[in-house]
Amino acid sequence: MTDLLSVHDVTKIFGGVHAVDGASLSVQEGTITALIGPNGSGKTTLFNIITGYLKADLGRVEFDGRDVTGSHPGRLYRQGLSRTFQQARIFPQLSVQENLVVAGGYGWRELFTSRVGRKDRERAASLLEEFRLSDVSELFASELSYGQRKLLEFAAVLMSAPRLVLLDEPTAGVNPVLIETMERHIRERNAAGITFLIVEHDMTFAMRLCNPVIVLDAGRAIFSGEPSVVQNNALVLDAYLGS
Amino acid sequence: MHALIQGVILGILTGGVYALMASGQTLIFGIMKVVNLAQGAMVIMAAYLSYQLFTRFGVDPFLAIPITTVLMFAFGVGVELLFLRPLRREDKSELSLLVTFAVALLIEGVLSVTWGTTYRSINASYANSSWTLWGYQITVVRLWAFVLSLVALGLLFWLLNRTRFGRAVRATVQNPQSARLLGVEAQWVSALGFGLGAATAAAAGSVYGLLYPFYPGSHYDLISRLLSIVVLGGLGSVGGAVVAGVIVSTSSAIVAATISPAWSEMTFFVILILVLLIRPQGLFGNVDRGAI
Amino acid sequence: MRLPSVLRGGVFVAVLVTVPMFGLQHWFLNLLVFVLMYATMSSAWNLVGGFAGYPSLGHAGFFGIGAYTIALIFKDHVLTTGYEPFLLLPLVGLVGGFIGWPIALISMRTRADVFAIVTITFLFVVQTLAFNLHDLTGGSQGAALPIPPFPAATFELPFYYVLAALLILTMGLTFATMRSKVGLSLVSIRADEDKARGVGVPTMGVKVLAFSVSVGITAMVGAVWAYYQSFIYPQFAVDPLVTIAIVLMTFLGGRGTLWGPVLGAVILESGQQLLTYQLGAVQLYLIVYALLFLVIILLLPRGILPTIQDRLRLRRRRRRADAAGAPPGDPTPSSEPDTASMLGGGAS
Repeated sequence: MTDLLSVHDVTKIFGGVHAVDGASLSVQEGTITALIGPNGSGKTTLFNIITGYLKADLGRVEFDGRDVTGSHPGRLYRQGLSRTFQQARIFPQLSVQENLVVAGGYGWRELFTSRVGRKDRERAASLLEEFRLSDVSELFASELSYGQRKLLEFAAVLMSAPRLVLLDEPTAGVNPVLIETMERHIRERNAAGITFLIVEHDMTFAMRLCNPVIVLDAGRAIFSGEPSVVQNNALVLDAYLGS
Repeated sequence: MHALIQGVILGILTGGVYALMASGQTLIFGIMKVVNLAQGAMVIMAAYLSYQLFTRFGVDPFLAIPITTVLMFAFGVGVELLFLRPLRREDKSELSLLVTFAVALLIEGVLSVTWGTTYRSINASYANSSWTLWGYQITVVRLWAFVLSLVALGLLFWLLNRTRFGRAVRATVQNPQSARLLGVEAQWVSALGFGLGAATAAAAGSVYGLLYPFYPGSHYDLISRLLSIVVLGGLGSVGGAVVAGVIVSTSSAIVAATISPAWSEMTFFVILILVLLIRPQGLFGNVDRGAI
Repeated sequence: MRLPSVLRGGVFVAVLVTVPMFGLQHWFLNLLVFVLMYATMSSAWNLVGGFAGYPSLGHAGFFGIGAYTIALIFKDHVLTTGYEPFLLLPLVGLVGGFIGWPIALISMRTRADVFAIVTITFLFVVQTLAFNLHDLTGGSQGAALPIPPFPAATFELPFYYVLAALLILTMGLTFATMRSKVGLSLVSIRADEDKARGVGVPTMGVKVLAFSVSVGITAMVGAVWAYYQSFIYPQFAVDPLVTIAIVLMTFLGGRGTLWGPVLGAVILESGQQLLTYQLGAVQLYLIVYALLFLVIILLLPRGILPTIQDRLRLRRRRRRADAAGAPPGDPTPSSEPDTASMLGGGAS
């Protein structure tokens, strides 16, 4: 299996604090990889750096063999790397369907065409169906419940047929039934060929779904391996329980 | 050459005042992510207060500063609580900018109605006296203004770096979410921060009134300069605002001395455009890609 | 019962065209001219400030640019039909757009705050230039245009119709924008620009386009105004009050809607024209506008039309829910996920 994503010695300093300190990791194609770590380990910062929302002070990020360090999120999106946000960022003033259409991407030429054309509707239809959002497709995204928003954001991310999807705490603030639904969708999509990198706090979810599990502590990756191994590793336990 | 150096001296002296005003503005942005378009209007308001104290009660403008500072601080806190706080509650912080603009106009309107639209200036006895040092003229007022600005900025730095409030402010500026998690009372920081910004305007107001004739509409010119300074320094960086204040002021003075006074007014705009073209985040600002 | 948009548009155009034919008095026609002016400018501002969420505080600067451009072109000209200035309006629009294009490129790269900063500074710079460039603008002495050779009895009519045409054009553009992906992009920018950029929306292109069109139209209105006044002074041609007025009108009527800015202009401009004789002093306008603005932002932040639309939506939803026999749904987002639909698909 090839490394779809690799991070080399990335460092990010915030006012004297090394949020990410020479972190290196790699994500192999076809996997559902977890990125876990105690509070303050730098998970979110590293996540933002990988996805282009933050610029690293040092280090390199490679995606699909290409150096994408410092690339803008938009460019990464077009190359097949997309992400979700912890707070389920959708476009509140747009309808559910329009949210999908925007995420589907369009170029200059399509700008002057219809706001939601027939092709757009077709593209969005299957995703709406799959995520059971067809009934609410005309509602404003702001009118959705939190769980529906999470699903919408996830569905939207799939519109561009990405190769790697980074999920930022997909189970945060979500009830157990929805967690199961999300897990099912992730597995289904993974089987269809999408690689996932998931930042998670929910240990059971991460251990159940993901392999391998990468552990971050104090800004660098301290261990990576199968869930069962990670759970018993001394370094990992120390990171979570110590200091 | 003489004109050039005279321009530089003038620029540095005035730069201190602009640095003071700009630091208040950039601080407000750093804390609340709001561009305070009323900063200029608050300076003018303080100038009028100073003027009133001077003409009515004979209080020297420099001595009036403690009074105006307290008044303006209260005013700033009031504005934040009344107009900006409700916006944040409803997550409409995008409108904060327009709200501060409306506050600026409100101030301008009230000042016009109260004092009329004729130009005023604070004609203290020493307003026109100056010293000559090595053939270069140094106005007394500007020198004292410079000293005052240094003192005020020093106080500001002390406040930001050595007090608990200051620590809370810096934490909020760097990382609002973490700051909130650490129990920093964000709402108090915002209100007091805005008050602090207004207080810097108070100190600068007295000086402004001594140096330049002013009328209620003067705030447009002022806010344009302040905004250029703040952008050059980097939105949110107090140190940047200080450096930028001196740079812009000095450039402006040099242009006035060597090319013409009319074009010196364009200098800040040219600097603004150059900053946005070359380094949009300013000297000490951060590139923000919206990670939240 | 809602009329389809084309029908509504048709009715509106018909009303606009026929109103002056009722032999109205001069002061009323004058009022209509100003209402049309502000309705057009507010609608134009809406493209940038309403849809994209980028509040331009410098539109008055482009108003002035349009005014001085037409004044310069016709400086020592002798008019024949009197319609020449109107025919050159597209040129003025292009001038405005050409100046607006680089301004947009520079100021819209980072965030809406920086944009507001540049536009307000631009306004001040234009005003300063208007005062200082004596050769071009006449400085504080003002600039003169040839007197329009229209018969006194129907003096306002040509201006009325030209402005009505501009308004219809602007509203047409707005409508087309709303119905196209340009509109979709603009709203996504306003909703969450960083995310929009993150999913590859051509944000810069769309913003710059909207701004250039917006200021081009504003410049055209400025030119018509200059011709109407025959003599322009810098403090009125480049007047922050104009910016404030159009921002306020757009907010009052409803940003991001088709009819909102027009409604706002009708309410406020009529009010202002009617009260001019009572109040007189400019300073009071400032206070009134500022207070009005603060009140609207705090109490009616979405403006009149969207608030009405929201209420109707809510009522329609309640009625549908009642008809279905279920308790009325709450359209506001809750923190609890929708368990009913989740249970339907969660089992594995």
